[in-house]
Amino acid sequence: MTTRREASFTNRLTAHFASYGSLILVGLLISIPLAWFVITSFKPQEEYMSYPVRFFPRELFLDTYRSALTMIDYFRFAGHSVILSLTHTTLTVITSAMAGFAFARFNVPGRNKLFVIVIAMLIVPVIILQIPQFIIFSKLGLTGTWWPWVLWGLAASPFFIFLFRQFFAAFPKELEDAAEIDGCGPFRTFVSVFLPNSKAVLATAFILNFTAQWGDYINPFLFLKDSNTTLAVKLQTGYLSPQGQTLTTIILAAAVLYVLPVVIIFFVGQKHILEGVVTTGLKG
Amino acid sequence: MDITLTLNKEKEKSVRRRKSSRARQRTIAFYLFIAPWLIGFVLLAIAPLLIGFATSLTNYDGFDPADAKFIGLRNYERAFTDKDTSYSLGRTLLWTAINTPIWLVLSFSMALILNQRAIKGKGFFRTLYYLPSIIPVVAAVWIWRIILDNNFGLLNASIGLVRPGTAIPFISTYAIYSLTAIAVWTGLGAGMVIFLAGLQNIPEELKEAARIDGANSLQVLRHVILPLMTPIIFFQLVLGMINAFQQLVLPMLLAPGQEVGGWNPPRSSFLYMIHTYRQLFVFQRYGYATALLWLLFIVVLIITLLTFKTARYWVYYEVEVEGGEP
Repeated sequence: MTTRREASFTNRLTAHFASYGSLILVGLLISIPLAWFVITSFKPQEEYMSYPVRFFPRELFLDTYRSALTMIDYFRFAGHSVILSLTHTTLTVITSAMAGFAFARFNVPGRNKLFVIVIAMLIVPVIILQIPQFIIFSKLGLTGTWWPWVLWGLAASPFFIFLFRQFFAAFPKELEDAAEIDGCGPFRTFVSVFLPNSKAVLATAFILNFTAQWGDYINPFLFLKDSNTTLAVKLQTGYLSPQGQTLTTIILAAAVLYVLPVVIIFFVGQKHILEGVVTTGLKG
Repeated sequence: MDITLTLNKEKEKSVRRRKSSRARQRTIAFYLFIAPWLIGFVLLAIAPLLIGFATSLTNYDGFDPADAKFIGLRNYERAFTDKDTSYSLGRTLLWTAINTPIWLVLSFSMALILNQRAIKGKGFFRTLYYLPSIIPVVAAVWIWRIILDNNFGLLNASIGLVRPGTAIPFISTYAIYSLTAIAVWTGLGAGMVIFLAGLQNIPEELKEAARIDGANSLQVLRHVILPLMTPIIFFQLVLGMINAFQQLVLPMLLAPGQEVGGWNPPRSSFLYMIHTYRQLFVFQRYGYATALLWLLFIVVLIITLLTFKTARYWVYYEVEVEGGEP
């Protein structure tokens, strides 16, 4: 008996050891690139290109950050990123919540068929739409402007419609009935009963979409001009030496500054994102 | 008698009318609520699909649509003789076949480990693993480029400590494996969070019952946890493959090549979408590029359907148990 218990104890100890071992190993694989990224952003270009490679910077070289902010009109392009991300996110959260509400609470003819379209759009490879959209927008003179972001935002997102539908479907029927007896129409019910009780999922959708838009590269790259593009594109194209060489460590400094806002937003809202969303989506 | 009957009928009618007018109002409200999405779906999905298909039947070059000539299925025929098309499709299949399983296995394993009750620091690890998922792709590629660089990268430098002078061309010759590393690094946390949510939905009683019957942890995993997780594994597998097929930005950013716009990455990472966009933005072959898009759509559709066909052999759909959780 004792030996069996001892054996199971050693087994458990080994399992424990293996668990923490792999957690730490993967943790290192995740964090070493991040650490190296920040460290290298504090090196002058010559030190980055020195051989053999120096693992730690000789000093905290802040000039990379100064150059990152002055070589391009950093805050102007950051402003473009903010405007585009906020516009798209605000619109898409509103229109997706509206559609999600309708799919969750209205039992009317045609609803299920339309909802199948939403689900289908979740797995359609959306990239096949991008080139035709580009052709249409360029013929309408909308390339080089921010209008596509307004249109994409208004068109809602299938993923968020699904998320909101799942969330709103869980509200008790009595809540809706009470609102109707109080004389609320569907719109009032949505705005003053459902939305105020959905702050967590609204925040989640907002953060997820803002992060995705802030990080988007291909759409600004294809649809915008050099003068009104976003930080994502400028980061890739804006930092060249007069001889046309890529200034790696300055780009890294610019990238650290570019990543920082979404990291901060993530830490503020992570509880909702990591716990709220996905579970809502899974409980079908 | 007659009068009461008529009155009753009148009353019934008015009730029915009120009911049907309420139903009509609800229907109108429903369509108003979904109007933005529905209009957007027609104008930004259906219309582009149709226009894309129409374009694929022409030799349109992006300038004056009036100059475009109808050429039937010639663009599609061309795709079957174009060596770059078959090469890039092969690369994309390889990329999907490497990337998806590694991502699935790793994110599932980490979710399993983090789901154990005795593990401390769960919140810390979960947050750390998720962190790369929010990093913009441009920054993520730069983060990896200074690791994978031929001459100045951390990886070659570290190997160089043991074998001086190492300069493995990770970014060019082995680009497809480098892309896998980046994709797994950025996607691990997002995948893990989904699996964790699924694992937390498995009722504790089921695992407990298996343990009482004498199952060890490995048997519980094999016979209780895995079967219950197959629907989520299936869902992640399908989405992962569809995403992998659409990959465009990573190879474009990792090694843009000498051409403007990044449409000429090394052959190792010459994926299907790169080939397609190159046809459009470098050679102005709008008709051919849209034909390539439709072919991709068909390939993805076939692979998705085939995956769905395999589902009945391995995906376990829970039978409603009386008194079980809804």
